Amino acid sequence: MADGSYLKGFGVTFKKLFEDRVTGDYRGGKGLEKGKPDEKRPKADRLHGRHVLNRYEDGMEKCIGCELCAGVCPAKCIYVRGADNNPEAPTSPGERFGYVYEINYLRCIHCDLCVEACPTQAITESKLFEFSFTNRSDAIYTKNELLVGDDGKPQQLPWEDWRDGEDTMTSGWMRATSPAGDHRYEGVVHWAGELGYGLRDPETGQSAEANDDEGARPAASSVEHG
Amino acid sequence: MTAVENEKSTVTVTLNGVEIEANPGELLIDAAERHGTYIPRFCYHSRMKSVGMCRMCLVEVDSGRGPALQPSCMIPVGEGMTVDTESEATKKAQDGVLEFLLINHPLDCPVCDKGGECPLQDQTVAFGPGESRFVEEKRHYEKPIPISDTVYLDRERCILCDRCTRFADDVAGDTLIHFMDRGNSTQVNTFPDEPFASYFSGNTVQICPVGALTAKPYRFKARPWDLEETISTAWIDSVGSRVTIQSSRNQVLRLLGVDADSVNWGWLSDKERFGFEALNSEDRLTAPMVRVDGRLEATGWAPALAAATDALRDVDPARIGVIGGARLTNESQYAWTKLAKGVLGTDNVDAQLGDGLPVEAVLGLPRATINQACTPGRTVILVGPDPKEDLGALFLRLRHAVVNDGTTLIELTPTRTGLSTIAAHSLHPKPGEVDLLAAALVDAVSGDAHDAAGVPANAIAAAAASISGPVTVVLGRASVAESAAVTVDAAIALSQLEGVGFLSALRRGNVHGALDMGMAPGLLPGRVPLRAGCDAFDQVPTEVGMDTIAMLEAAASGDLDVLVLLGSDPLSDVPDADLAERGLAGAGTVIAVEMLPNASTLTHADLVLPAAAPTEVDGTFTNLEGRVSVAEQKVTPPGTARADWMIAAELALRLGADLGVESPESIRAEIAVVSPVHAKLTETALADGRVEGVLISGSSIEAPTASGSTTPANDAYSLRLVAARRMYDNGTMLQASASSAGLAASVKVTLNPTDFEKLGLDAGTVVKVISGRGELMAPLAADFGVPAGSAMIPTNAPGSNVNTLIDASASVTDVRVERA
Ligand code: SF4
Ligand code: SF4
Ligand code: SF4
Ligand code: FES
Repeated sequence: MADGSYLKGFGVTFKKLFEDRVTGDYRGGKGLEKGKPDEKRPKADRLHGRHVLNRYEDGMEKCIGCELCAGVCPAKCIYVRGADNNPEAPTSPGERFGYVYEINYLRCIHCDLCVEACPTQAITESKLFEFSFTNRSDAIYTKNELLVGDDGKPQQLPWEDWRDGEDTMTSGWMRATSPAGDHRYEGVVHWAGELGYGLRDPETGQSAEANDDEGARPAASSVEHG
Repeated sequence: MTAVENEKSTVTVTLNGVEIEANPGELLIDAAERHGTYIPRFCYHSRMKSVGMCRMCLVEVDSGRGPALQPSCMIPVGEGMTVDTESEATKKAQDGVLEFLLINHPLDCPVCDKGGECPLQDQTVAFGPGESRFVEEKRHYEKPIPISDTVYLDRERCILCDRCTRFADDVAGDTLIHFMDRGNSTQVNTFPDEPFASYFSGNTVQICPVGALTAKPYRFKARPWDLEETISTAWIDSVGSRVTIQSSRNQVLRLLGVDADSVNWGWLSDKERFGFEALNSEDRLTAPMVRVDGRLEATGWAPALAAATDALRDVDPARIGVIGGARLTNESQYAWTKLAKGVLGTDNVDAQLGDGLPVEAVLGLPRATINQACTPGRTVILVGPDPKEDLGALFLRLRHAVVNDGTTLIELTPTRTGLSTIAAHSLHPKPGEVDLLAAALVDAVSGDAHDAAGVPANAIAAAAASISGPVTVVLGRASVAESAAVTVDAAIALSQLEGVGFLSALRRGNVHGALDMGMAPGLLPGRVPLRAGCDAFDQVPTEVGMDTIAMLEAAASGDLDVLVLLGSDPLSDVPDADLAERGLAGAGTVIAVEMLPNASTLTHADLVLPAAAPTEVDGTFTNLEGRVSVAEQKVTPPGTARADWMIAAELALRLGADLGVESPESIRAEIAVVSPVHAKLTETALADGRVEGVLISGSSIEAPTASGSTTPANDAYSLRLVAARRMYDNGTMLQASASSAGLAASVKVTLNPTDFEKLGLDAGTVVKVISGRGELMAPLAADFGVPAGSAMIPTNAPGSNVNTLIDASASVTDVRVERA
């Protein structure tokens, strides 16, 4: 430290003070006062925002209440309870459905481990992250709030700041193996089908090796999507 | 073999290159586990016979003829055996067995109740192949089918280990589930139209190594990683079965049996296992209630306690009575005894409801433990209720002893019981005459056989001849329609047998703790009589007080100003319903301390104080042997309900006395000082006996003396009533358990078919049963297990309660049965 290198760090801070603020363009933000457009920066493809609970094409819920997401959650912010499906009017395919589903966003660290753990691709993370709560119970999203609508699109809650189209690619699901359990996908990021917005192409792998092997993999559209 | 080798008491086996000492005859799988090598398994269960079904325990064994794969659950250790549990061949076998098991396995772990605690999952991870090669279609069955009211079967998940079927056949004796079909279609199932209606079905759920059998009360309620658990004691009956209580989010969700060698061997009756549902019931009392204009209305603790104190203050102690207390922990019982006898000064305290036995018969006779009763080569004489109906876990232990260990069982019961099929001799005396039969049996042992109680001399002689080894008498009230004196007289007669020990069959949860804590007239904590005094009490009543029946009689004639119902329901449980009704109506103030409102509370209590349940308090319970084991708090009581000992302490404080009790531990410490028999009940002893408990022995109570009462002969037109308890009845706790409530069979009158002709009636006919006391209507049923001349009606059955027929002051109850 004696060489004064820490001053370099302060230099970054100092420079940033005079840059335009990323958050300045929000509705009600300072940027708007200066006549800037109400616009947000594009977000990265893999941004981890708030979760959604997905549905199948027939409207059935994908969640089976297995609690694997809650079990894996390092922040212990998910609370799930299962219950028996009513055979006459099932909520999800099979015997069991998620009867209680809550995520506490005061705790969630958006690590996406729940998404990895989910056996049915029921839980995915959207890119929506801009919300501010004024009380604790708003911060605990209930199943009704997390569930996508019949069209497969997330519901906009009063305290969330959205622009049109920002909710796309929410049910995109990715993990290091393909949903079909195909070993050729090992180590390759893959996106699942989206009820609301259709298919997203698989990413082109994270390493050169995986890319080399691409020819051996089936194309996205030929992979079964749950 | 040389003589030296013959004397060798252990067998040396080389296990993975290390020499270990095993016990002769021990199974290889057990010997290895004792020495720290766990051999994977599915079908083997240490409390059941090995069958070698699953082949998961294959290990390489060399007994001199070269190594070969052998199932370690089937072969006993042999001298010089070399075992390799880690060889290539063993690993390949384990891998192969798991691959085969998974071929037809659905892998619905995410929705499977077993997921997370599943031996198939765990052992696949530890010993199995990493990947599946199976791409073909798996077999399919209808997803779970209910095979009883509480158990579901998912045949796709079954790995055919034979545990459940072995349990049903060999342990419970309820041969209701079996393998059927062959080959790929082999499946466990019940007979068509015959559900798995066993009192012990829940055990199969616990021992199923996969999620094929699941229990309705727990189904989908939680995953194993949600659960927190603590070891405790089942409270439903007096066996004191050891359990783990598992809860999540402050709610008890499951009970599992713990293998306590001296008590329940890991087994539980369904009533013990699923009884926790009542504690989660919506009906739980959450606030004190006071009767205003005939209706019970919620109030706060302060006004409720003030009202209770007002009622109790300055009342002649002889005009105060306390009925009940068997639900409480030992600590709470001590606090209540101290309040009643030491502060209020009344000896009118009785934890039994006129359906039990006098103190002398329980504490004044030499006692036996369950393990003593079940020791191979001994004899058990049953003078009491059907253990299958009353004391489920004891039934399983006795059954095992008789079937597997050559214990001789002789029944002296009014009707056939769940043990009759395996009993060496089932003698059914006329109701009210078991004392004569017991005396005749003792006479027959000394060579003088004669007819007695309607049983012929030769049958008695044969039973006497079969007695071998020391005798354990299982003693309880077989029928509440006959007076307790008859049972006591039978016990006195049998106490002449050599080396006899008595195992009490009083059924209520902690009734033996209640007696040990002095909750009976004439008794003080520590199995001592009133005259022995108690240093820790400010005062001790001088006169022996009234029992429940006498208290109700006094109340009925206006001689009781305050009646405290300590978790009791006289209307349903006192054998004489008419007396109970008159007593409750005639009592001055009725104060109920309750978890759930019952018939007596709802109709007669002026004040209701909500009490915490056994899962909501710390403390100890005493079982029928006198074994003290811990009950640990797992969840918090609902609303403002509190532990019974706190209520006693509060009341005492308001009456100007300090019970000096601060916590269950402090009460235990006081008990250890006060009671001559509890001195060894230290915290260390309890901690060491976390599983097995601490056996309390010794007593200063004298043996009972013969009542000298005789039972009158009945006339030719009447039948003699047997009122026996069934596992499932209209009891408050059972009816508050969602999945078990419907199991209580509605009331019926069971007669020997030979009596049908005499009466000109048929099975199914609705009849009117008339006694000197009252009458009830019920359909008739036929059973050769009920002797001719007797009529069996279950107690507290839905429909009508047999206690409307019984007169508590008569020694037997005779009834007429007429077409309605
Ligand atoms: S979201 Fe997925 S992991 Fe979580 S409970 Fe539902 S099905 Fe299971
Ligand atoms: S029994 Fe259940 S948890 Fe175990 S492997 Fe099978 S499906 Fe999975
Ligand atoms: S149901 Fe369970 S206990 Fe019964 S045979 Fe199948 S796997 Fe074994
Ligand atoms: S455990 Fe030995 S064959 Fe199943």
